Amino acid sequence: MNKRLKFAVVVSGAPYGAQGASSAYQFCCATLQAGHNIVGVFFYQEGVLNASQLVSPASDEINLPDFWAKLALQYQFPLEVCVSASLRRGIVNELEAKQLALSQFNLKAPFVLSGLGQLAELSAKADRLVQFL
Amino acid sequence: MIEKKIGIINRCLPHGSAQGRESLDLTLAMSAFNESLSLFFIGDGVYQLLDGHDPTECLQKHFQPLFKMLELYDVENIYVCQQSLLQRAITEDQLMIEVTSVDTQTLKTNLALQDQLLSF
Repeated sequence: MNKRLKFAVVVSGAPYGAQGASSAYQFCCATLQAGHNIVGVFFYQEGVLNASQLVSPASDEINLPDFWAKLALQYQFPLEVCVSASLRRGIVNELEAKQLALSQFNLKAPFVLSGLGQLAELSAKADRLVQFL
Repeated sequence: MIEKKIGIINRCLPHGSAQGRESLDLTLAMSAFNESLSLFFIGDGVYQLLDGHDPTECLQKHFQPLFKMLELYDVENIYVCQQSLLQRAITEDQLMIEVTSVDTQTLKTNLALQDQLLSF
């Protein structure tokens, strides 16, 4: 078998309305099946919408946030979501909701809000960085 | 470990989408962790550097002054596509920061030198 590589994936596209995030998910599945590692997925720009637990497509359509959550739990890699991009787009965790006096939060587990510093860390850790728009 | 060279490609107009702003946010944040960043402004991306924006009329954030922070954060490899400037009748002295304008061949060479690329 070829050398096992460490991949970091950046998702810049929304879970619905563009194909990028779906392609990113499929890329992660294929990478893991080929025996490589995912060191983490970083969600930025419209990509942060992948972390919403309110995404509710029709029953015969795929729910990408669910897919991400299952894959990350199965293979134990982090789903990091840029906090500043998130707050601007209405993706909020429990702590932020409290601090901002919002009545709701909607960040799905196991997604976590983190800073762009996390992306720098993933970039340093990974053999390959792949971005999906 | 040798620090990875990261190239950040900017191809969008400054307003109309948040691409430019979020690219600059990312660049400034990453510069605290990585000193080998290079910025590339290609196509309509060159408009981001054209001096004198005032986007408040269109309810967009005036993020252009933040480009001045690049120097402060030691981000010095800023490449602008010469041909893109020429096509848009923009001269280098109309840009708000100091850049290196490069022909397409040099652009390709510099892009190929990067370990990782992020595109906006």
